[in-house]
Amino acid sequence: MSEHTTFAPGTVLVLVGTRRGLFLLTSRDRRRWEIAASGLVGRRIFYATLDQRNGHRMFAADNGDFFGTFLRYSDDFGQTWQEPAQGIQFPDGSEQKLVNIWVIEPGRPDEPGILYAGVDPASLWISTDNGVHWNLNEGLANHPTRSRWEPGAGGLCLHTIVVDPTNPARMWVGISAVGCLRTGDGGRSWVFANKNVRADFLPMQYPEFGQCLHRMIQHPAQPDVLYQQNHCGIYKSINAGDDWIDIQHNLPSEFGFPIALDTHNPDTVFVVVENPEGRNNVGEHFAVYRTMDGGERWQPLTEGLPSGPAVRLGVLRHGMCTDTLDPCGVYVGTNTGQVFASRDRGDSWNLVADFLPPVYSVKAILIE
Amino acid sequence: MDSQAAIPHALVILPHALREKVGNQASVRVYGHTVREIVAALDQEYPGLRFNLCHETGELRPYVNIFLDRENTRYLQGLDTAVRDGATIHILQSVAGG
Repeated sequence: MSEHTTFAPGTVLVLVGTRRGLFLLTSRDRRRWEIAASGLVGRRIFYATLDQRNGHRMFAADNGDFFGTFLRYSDDFGQTWQEPAQGIQFPDGSEQKLVNIWVIEPGRPDEPGILYAGVDPASLWISTDNGVHWNLNEGLANHPTRSRWEPGAGGLCLHTIVVDPTNPARMWVGISAVGCLRTGDGGRSWVFANKNVRADFLPMQYPEFGQCLHRMIQHPAQPDVLYQQNHCGIYKSINAGDDWIDIQHNLPSEFGFPIALDTHNPDTVFVVVENPEGRNNVGEHFAVYRTMDGGERWQPLTEGLPSGPAVRLGVLRHGMCTDTLDPCGVYVGTNTGQVFASRDRGDSWNLVADFLPPVYSVKAILIE
Repeated sequence: MDSQAAIPHALVILPHALREKVGNQASVRVYGHTVREIVAALDQEYPGLRFNLCHETGELRPYVNIFLDRENTRYLQGLDTAVRDGATIHILQSVAGG
């Protein structure tokens, strides 16, 4: 368990969710890192984040093996955890049962107290009181196509939530294997936003829905610009998801899970594409791929990353993130328990943690 | 007169993982005619505990076993298994290993 009860402002905290617990990586200079276990040990932590809009409340998706799945929160940087008074749970007697919680995202900066969570079975949950009470978004739950949604390999999971900071009524969600949905009325109704995104595993290559979106992010300065890593390609939208442009170009694979960007240079985007059969690095060198022109050209970033005939690293959908410093830091956690960090936008990398359980997620936060 | 005198009572022994939910006790006494009623009584006394044991659909979680005396109720009548007065119920997590 962490001996810290707080961290100094300016500290970079990377929350590392793993198959067996939540860990905290911290650094003041992004050169020397310390790692500590949190109070959540031995549990499948799909995702964790820190909400600083109203103090320092940490949230974690604790997907237990035996006694249920719980969203938990901590007000002491992960040492002790509480269950919400009204957690994420379908009504007793429901036909649906909670399988896994995939993602927890704080709402807009000007709406402290509001948080969103995405789960399997695909549904969006909202709290308006800092995570103490959670309620189902009925608009998405009652979508007219809901009975025809099919799961991906990870389940029928809502794993990505993009809250538009410029429009209080607009947000997007990503569901495997349904695709992208957008609301423009605060969640009362949702429309599909999958035009020109391929679903090569279906008879129709371009269905209205059924795409296997793996992860989606928003340009911080141009809110209509979105990027997504899909099962079948890497895409960019310049019109809020009305349609998508394939930006794979010279990437060696269309398949991958995570995607992240540099908030100070938002045309700089990072992906980790993989061999789709092995679900690990293409070739013998583990690489992060970077574009600096919004997806026109990609370059492999390999300095400090491992290579060799036995190197087979995979990165899951929440396994890569950036921090908000300039130059931005990039963090990658692997399914074999390594965390690599770059403090120079991916130009060079260091192994900052090893021998962890398989990493499900990394989330970098600059302590305020 | 005890209003619950006609209802069988059982000693429920909880796994370590759930003891925090019941005030760090290893066992508790509750009343119920069936295992389902025992679970309901546990949830009444310790709100939220049913969700640890059962899905929202009402079915027992797959890696939770409830033993009535020495019998796994999964191979009796499941949650509808009748409980005799003075029974001992063990709630256990499956081995779930290799």
